[in-house]
Amino acid sequence: MFNRRDFLKTSAAGGSALALAGTSRLGFAATTANSYDTLVVVYLRGGMDALTLLSPGGSNSNRAAYETARPSLKVPLSGTGAGLAIAADQWRLHPRAAPLRDLFTASKLAIVLGSGMPAPVTRSHFDAQINMEVGLAGQSSGMGWLTRALASANLPPTVQIPAVSAGSITSTALLGSTESITLGSGADFRIDSGSWAWNVEPDFRTTAPPGARGIFSMLPELWGGSDPLEAAGRQALDALNVIKPIDFGAYAPANGAVYPDTDFARQLKMLAQLIKRDVGLRVCTVDLGGWDTHDGQGNPASSYDYFGNKVEELAKGLAAFYTDLNGVGANNYAATTSVVTMSEFGRRVRENDDGGTDHGYGSIMLALGGAVNGGQMYGTFGGLTTAQLFEGADVQVTTDYRRVLSEALIRRLRNPNVYYAFPTYSAYAPLGVFQGTDLPPQNYDRIFGNGFQ
Amino acid sequence: MASAFASQVFSRRHLIQAMAGAIGVTDETAMRRPGKAPLLEEKSLPQTTAATPPGPVRWLQKATFGFTQGDYAAFYSLPGANDDLRWQSWVSQQLNPAAISDTACDARLAGAGFTTLGKTLPQLWAQHRVDNYTTRMQPIAEIECATSIRAIYSNRQLYEVMADFWHDHFSTFGWDYDGGPVFVHYDRDVIRPNVFGNFRTLLEAVCKSTTMMYYLDLQASTVAGPNENYARELIELHTLGAENYAGVMDPQDPSLPVGISGDGTSARLKYVDEDVYESTRVLTGWTIKNGHWQYPADNDGTFIFRDAESWHDRFTKYVLNRRFAPDQGQQDGFKLFDTLASHPGTANFIARKLCRRFVGDNPPSSLVTSIAQLFMSTWQAPDQLKQVTQAILLSNEFKTSWGTKVKRPFNAVIGALRGAGADFTPTLASYGSGTWSTKDEVNSRLQQTGQRKFYWPAPNGYPDTAAAWSSSGSLAMTWKMLVRLTEIHKEVGYDDTRPYLIDIIGLTNGAVAAGSRTAVNIVNYWCDRLLGFRPEPTYTKAVDYLRQNAAATEVLTLNEVWAGGSSPNLKNHYTQSRLRATVALIMCSPDALRR
Repeated sequence: MFNRRDFLKTSAAGGSALALAGTSRLGFAATTANSYDTLVVVYLRGGMDALTLLSPGGSNSNRAAYETARPSLKVPLSGTGAGLAIAADQWRLHPRAAPLRDLFTASKLAIVLGSGMPAPVTRSHFDAQINMEVGLAGQSSGMGWLTRALASANLPPTVQIPAVSAGSITSTALLGSTESITLGSGADFRIDSGSWAWNVEPDFRTTAPPGARGIFSMLPELWGGSDPLEAAGRQALDALNVIKPIDFGAYAPANGAVYPDTDFARQLKMLAQLIKRDVGLRVCTVDLGGWDTHDGQGNPASSYDYFGNKVEELAKGLAAFYTDLNGVGANNYAATTSVVTMSEFGRRVRENDDGGTDHGYGSIMLALGGAVNGGQMYGTFGGLTTAQLFEGADVQVTTDYRRVLSEALIRRLRNPNVYYAFPTYSAYAPLGVFQGTDLPPQNYDRIFGNGFQ
Repeated sequence: MASAFASQVFSRRHLIQAMAGAIGVTDETAMRRPGKAPLLEEKSLPQTTAATPPGPVRWLQKATFGFTQGDYAAFYSLPGANDDLRWQSWVSQQLNPAAISDTACDARLAGAGFTTLGKTLPQLWAQHRVDNYTTRMQPIAEIECATSIRAIYSNRQLYEVMADFWHDHFSTFGWDYDGGPVFVHYDRDVIRPNVFGNFRTLLEAVCKSTTMMYYLDLQASTVAGPNENYARELIELHTLGAENYAGVMDPQDPSLPVGISGDGTSARLKYVDEDVYESTRVLTGWTIKNGHWQYPADNDGTFIFRDAESWHDRFTKYVLNRRFAPDQGQQDGFKLFDTLASHPGTANFIARKLCRRFVGDNPPSSLVTSIAQLFMSTWQAPDQLKQVTQAILLSNEFKTSWGTKVKRPFNAVIGALRGAGADFTPTLASYGSGTWSTKDEVNSRLQQTGQRKFYWPAPNGYPDTAAAWSSSGSLAMTWKMLVRLTEIHKEVGYDDTRPYLIDIIGLTNGAVAAGSRTAVNIVNYWCDRLLGFRPEPTYTKAVDYLRQNAAATEVLTLNEVWAGGSSPNLKNHYTQSRLRATVALIMCSPDALRR
């Protein structure tokens, strides 16, 4: 059988050479830690108000319309709470997003404007999230786009943990996957809660009479049936076995990274550890909720800034994750790790009278990583005058979110089956957010899917 | 696919078939990665059927928070010549909870030292809407305890199960900064009185509740500053459901179908965004007496409708093709609730949700249709939800289905505590003191499973599909917690002489005479007690684990001594601990977790 690891090394080297030629980014290190890439999809649940995270700057012709639509919420250009200018002050990042600004300046963070799902248009959180994560543009299937991406990736069976959904409940993007682990806390993910005397090897203790077996090692004998629940149980037992040897408590972040004390950051830290252990992680999902700001959104110019708190949670978490992975040479995990953020929709351009914003349409996506062509904006912004807005109210969707994710699949995960991951999608063309070589986008041929045999 | 959302309730097998259909693929086995056994198709395994318990055990498992021997015995003392007739009696009895004596549960609640459960809404508002977080959240903290106590000990099990269902349907985050202090009102005065009542009444009560008013911002929605948050979820989550959402469309679009509602008049069957905006206008002025600057004296947390020009939108509105005449004041809102509660979309959405709870993730459409028809035809009946609940529980589909669902973690944990006869009264004895209590451990571990009660942040409520609760994370953390239940003491501490939450040794000694404490007899007792039957392979594995190198019929000595060393003899090694571990195994078996 073809040695997949060697194959990936070859193609990765080829990819980086081309990327260097194409973008002249000499900082891109040829030496990386893992022989494959990891894609981390961060879902900002609730409909993140993109116009507050990224507001029109002083040199942006939309500034006046923005200030008119957002009299109390606007991020000011100067004084207390002034936004952080990027892209020649075309845009301002929220002042609490300073770590993101620094990553943007260092060309590790890219911003995609006007992102979203072009059709169907829905202002329902749950509809929109399911549509995007299932990836079927309005058709639900119970199987996420990452599940299909994984199923078409031709991974060898030796890959230990190809996918992690961080949290207690599997994210829709990984729904139906047979090889994804849903993992809230790595350190807690073990059945060591039973009686001291019978918590024994091969479970946990070693000092027991020979032959003594713990509860954990007994469970597979109870879960051998063929119904879906027992099959799911075996998958959970597999997951427990794989995670058990990892000492999460002993993990020390590298490169001076400081993870803030938030669930979001703890989950990113757990993923960083798994990436560094080379368990084969290809895709992971992390959620950050709390963005449904219908009222009391706050303002960075005042002492009450709810939205700013969320921004800081996001920015500090992502920055710590990147820093932790951004070692040199064999410790350069950042070069093979890409983070993409998405949200179900942006919010109404005009603020409401409760100091909040209602459900809108166009949003932004962030892409972060060593292999991201950062420091620039991608896509176009539809404008803020009434005539430019979708239905006179919302930012237009000008970049299909699938275009960004497809590029990550092709250029980073080396999986060209983007029309399989997103079955109703067509006419893919890269924006250039990620470094790497292009492959012709295609559907997945299921009969010859095991391509390396 | 017919419905964009129907597949959410598909079984896993159906899912993959639907998926294959959607993308033009028929070879479902191709989903597998070479060498990695897939979850969805396991053709290499023999197609075994899950062990099925007797009818009454199945029915009690599904209609209560978990099977108990006490309930089983009580079932057989009910009127009726056979199980079907006795089941009718059981359902009739449970549908009249007030007539069921509940003294043991009441005594636990009374003895738990709660101080907020009897407070009126104005008292809660005045005494708990304060800066001190501990005081502020005491009402939701007490409801969390009381909910567990009732789920474990109440004889009104169906009532508790349905209160759980409607809390999920009208889900709010219990620890919401504004909702937490008045959550007692939401549970006691809004949800619980209407569990077997009328949906239209429940809907309006939820809308007016201080908890929902804050959770979805309706209290701040005025004609000058409308806030669409509540109106959107009212239609999408509480009534018509996303399955009846046509998206951003012209409400006059001729492609949108029209039908007849339960009130006999016509309505558009699918809703569009305009309906959300128009409903928002309808409900402007529905607010709370919260010391608003215009009415500083009105400040007791209760509902009020404000018809003033700056509050309620007085002009004509159109919702689902129905005209709302101008200047109708609060009648606008009443008419909206009538429109939504009598709508066929609502009937279908609620009927499917109820069937999903009791029958399976993909309930037969014939059942859903008949329940929806009943729901719609009784939409004005004061006992509408009683009739609907009864129809589902007496349906053949309910009685014959088994193993279509996995117990959600709260159900799994409460079920284990019920079945094992745990003595667990969670209280706020150490609340706010920084001291870790058994109650805190249980709640914290439930949080890890993904289902701590009243902890779901979004307004759509905890999922109710097998797929959602079969994830590695949720199952593993549920096992971990169930195992822990056999080792946890009533009070936290390192002193092992403290009584256990579940007195496994005491119960065993009481039930199995000293001379007959063989592995077989002990496992017989615990299988019957926890599961109501002795399924394989769980039964034999539990016997083997408990007996170790003893014969299955050899009398065991229940001790706590080390039997290792140079000549280890496992059968004498920590037998008490081993018995607790054996009980944990039964609790963690698929037979204990499916329903």
